[in-house]
Amino acid sequence: MSSKIERDAHGRKQARYAPWLLLVPGLLWLIWFFYLPLYSLFRMSLSTKPSRFAVPEFGWAWSNYSQAFSQYGAQFQRSFTYALAATIVALLIAYPIAYVIAFRGGRYRNVLLGLVVVPFFTNFLIRTLAWKTILGNQGPLINLLQTIGVLGPNETLLRTPLAVIGGLTYNFLPFMVLPIYVSLEKIDPRLLDAARDLYSNTWRGFRKIIIPLSLPGVFAGSLLVFIPAAGDFVNSYYLGNAKTTMIGNVVQDQFLVQNNYPIAAALSFVFIAIVMVVVAIYSRLLGTEEIA
Amino acid sequence: MSAVVGGAKKPREQYGTVTSPAGRLGRFIINLFAAGGLLYLFLPIFVIVAFSFNQPVGRFNAVWNRFTFDNWLHPFADQALVDALLLSLKVALISTVVATVIGTFMAIGLVRYRFRGGGAVNFLLVLPLTAPEIVLGASLLTLFLAPTMLLFNISFSLGFATIVIAHIMFLVSYVALTVRARLRGFDWTLEDAAMDLGANPTRTFWRVTLPLITPGILAAALLSFALSIDDFIITYFVSGPSTTTFPVRIFGQSRTATPPQINVLSTMILLVSISILAIGTLVSARRTKRDTA
Amino acid sequence: MIKGPTGRGEDKSLVSRRGFLAGAGVIAGGALAGSAFLTACADASKQATGALQISNWTGYIDPKSVAVFEKQTGIGVEYSEDINDNNEWFAKNQLVLAKGDWIGRDAVVLDDWIANRLINRLKWAEPFAPGVLKNKANLLPELSNPAHDPGRRFSLPWAVGLTGIAYNRSVTKRDIKSLDDFLALDSPTAVLSEMRDTVGLMMRAERADVTQPTAASAESAFALLEKSVADGAIDAFTGNDYVSDLATGNLGAAFAWSGDVAQITRDNPDVRFVIPDSGGLIWSDNFVIPKGAEHRVNATKWIDFFYDPINAARLTAYVQYISPVVGVADELAKMGGKAARLINDPLVVPTPSMLDSVANFGILNSGDADAMDKRFSELQGAA
Repeated sequence: MSSKIERDAHGRKQARYAPWLLLVPGLLWLIWFFYLPLYSLFRMSLSTKPSRFAVPEFGWAWSNYSQAFSQYGAQFQRSFTYALAATIVALLIAYPIAYVIAFRGGRYRNVLLGLVVVPFFTNFLIRTLAWKTILGNQGPLINLLQTIGVLGPNETLLRTPLAVIGGLTYNFLPFMVLPIYVSLEKIDPRLLDAARDLYSNTWRGFRKIIIPLSLPGVFAGSLLVFIPAAGDFVNSYYLGNAKTTMIGNVVQDQFLVQNNYPIAAALSFVFIAIVMVVVAIYSRLLGTEEIA
Repeated sequence: MSAVVGGAKKPREQYGTVTSPAGRLGRFIINLFAAGGLLYLFLPIFVIVAFSFNQPVGRFNAVWNRFTFDNWLHPFADQALVDALLLSLKVALISTVVATVIGTFMAIGLVRYRFRGGGAVNFLLVLPLTAPEIVLGASLLTLFLAPTMLLFNISFSLGFATIVIAHIMFLVSYVALTVRARLRGFDWTLEDAAMDLGANPTRTFWRVTLPLITPGILAAALLSFALSIDDFIITYFVSGPSTTTFPVRIFGQSRTATPPQINVLSTMILLVSISILAIGTLVSARRTKRDTA
Repeated sequence: MIKGPTGRGEDKSLVSRRGFLAGAGVIAGGALAGSAFLTACADASKQATGALQISNWTGYIDPKSVAVFEKQTGIGVEYSEDINDNNEWFAKNQLVLAKGDWIGRDAVVLDDWIANRLINRLKWAEPFAPGVLKNKANLLPELSNPAHDPGRRFSLPWAVGLTGIAYNRSVTKRDIKSLDDFLALDSPTAVLSEMRDTVGLMMRAERADVTQPTAASAESAFALLEKSVADGAIDAFTGNDYVSDLATGNLGAAFAWSGDVAQITRDNPDVRFVIPDSGGLIWSDNFVIPKGAEHRVNATKWIDFFYDPINAARLTAYVQYISPVVGVADELAKMGGKAARLINDPLVVPTPSMLDSVANFGILNSGDADAMDKRFSELQGAA
């Protein structure tokens, strides 16, 4: 018995109903526990509270959004700036690692990849606290930098924007390494020989062949770093100061301290909207559409 | 990716070897940066492991005092910490299993078939990943706490169930996309071959398709497990008064004390994951030898 | 990828990923075995549960008291240290309480101002069970009629503390005596993220009356705070994390709570606590029974237990916060050893002059409270 199923160039079947059977459980879960809450958050963002501890009432309160824009512009800006800085630094650190593992890793490729991920099996907070020890004011790093003269005698590393960006970079680094690695690994290695033959100076070969082919990975990695970094509040809490607060801190404060759910919700949506715009622009720039 | 295609026979890392001095310099620099990067990755880990052998002065394990094995002799001294770790493991196990099953189905559905609405499903899958954790946490909190905001009037009380629900939610997208990426090059005509040989669709799926995609599924499951264990922000928002996971416990406790047992337990987790990695590599190395022998 | 007829092609990466099969088996086995082992450890120490459920802050009880209480009264106690933050606790339990349901805990320990919110503003607290409190008379007279609970019908202090300035002498290189000294420091400084503590200390420096605070009387304090943050005289707002930062020298000075510092100062004499010239604050953490609690009588028995000076002394010896119970100093002396030495520690057994220099931050009316909370959050850059 042979089945004459229509397959397209990728070997995929043309079908009407079968795929939905497989998709339904996941979609239902996402709809109930992501999209529905998102909808309720949206309604919350258009509500007002008559007093601090009352239940919010829906009322098409667009003023929440104008307030979100006008009052917290600085925090939004700061969040995206820090996230951008963290993404760029992460890219600079991650690319060589991914490159070396993909092209020179050989038998040890998986081990090396594992080594990249393993530090992140420890707890997020403990790693941040460890950084506090490393960057601490009595620590060796400060002494070194002060001896060299990079830092003044009264300057510190902790509780500065630099520390926050450093923390963000570190915490999301594997999300940059892994996608770039996957992209690089897919490159047919004979292209490397071709690059070497065509461009005896390998930098040009690198620039003209490797970099463009790794762009999907760079794209995915940048987004996987930028987005969570922009929404983070823990790094700013532990490593920052009163002037480094990010949008995440504001949302947390509004939700938990001020009990002002409508404003917190409005801020969240403004954040998502900005992120979507950034993603759209970025994907246009790079010419790729997929994230995975 | 193998270099066996097209009859070429060298191992991958010998492609693109450069002999020019500029090339060699470039290679050296890249290796240096990569090594530096790995060192950077492990710097805090060294500190964490080192401080697990510290005898702290007072309640905070922040300043090196003196070396001791005591902490390793009593790793479970902090009962609340151990309970929190146990809870995290339970949550991670359940959420990973459920999310992996659901996510794999979705991935297969997306890759194996071409159908109307595939693009839309793709978008629906990706959006949760692009929403920052605080939004995920906040919106779930709104769902669980303010049922009057919804269409139905079901309400949840914050606790174990809400944490698991939240974890499954964000893990499903990761699993689906990871498995889908691995399935990209999968040759679905194998299924036709199997059915030509006499297998029915179910048998084909279990005996042919599933074993081949299992490595991808496992990789996704591992990733999910790690993500669930370490999740802080979402869990912080949706956990109840008596359901404290490991990261949340450390956060709360870090305000009054940081016992070295935290470092000990974290180092243990690290050692376990490294061992698994090592075992996996050894087994695959043996397999390769056996297969090519 | 070339695939042979059985699909096990030459693709090395596919084969090596198969190794994960073995790895996964190990993980699953390991996780299960590990779980079983750890569960065994956990079960070994669990007692009868369900007759009394208490939530408290971390590190706020000594290791023995629960067992002693259970033995003495026969009531099984489920004690969990899950209160990390007043606001977080409130935000999460708010809706359950608003519906009139039970939050699952018979008692919680919260700051004065949030106890006030529960007791007075929202009426979400239960009075103590009548006729059970035998030791109530042991309460320090200064604490027996607070503004938020005259007659102490709904709340009793669990621990008392002072708010002042802590500094690391080896970093600051000088002694700090006043708020001006604090603000003039070069080294990093932090204030507390608790509004009433920080604004209260500032108010005292500005000679405002903290026992009857209003938004108007706090105005100059806020102005001073805002200026200091803008100038960089104040670097950060912290919760308890200032403690480790002080100990490691990451902070030069910080607004601090006496009990935290009592613990470090013994081992690290560079870290010192001082009540500023202009005065400090005294506060208490309150034991409160939330509405709908199932075991009100047991909860009342629990707090009554801790108002026996012997039990209070045991608690104080470990927690090292000031006890609200009269006669604790004598019991500590009887305990001997390290506990007895605590009598000489002014942070655990304060001297009368210290008690004179501190005042209790009074209750704000709800409008002022909300406005000041908002302004304080804006200061931190978070509102």
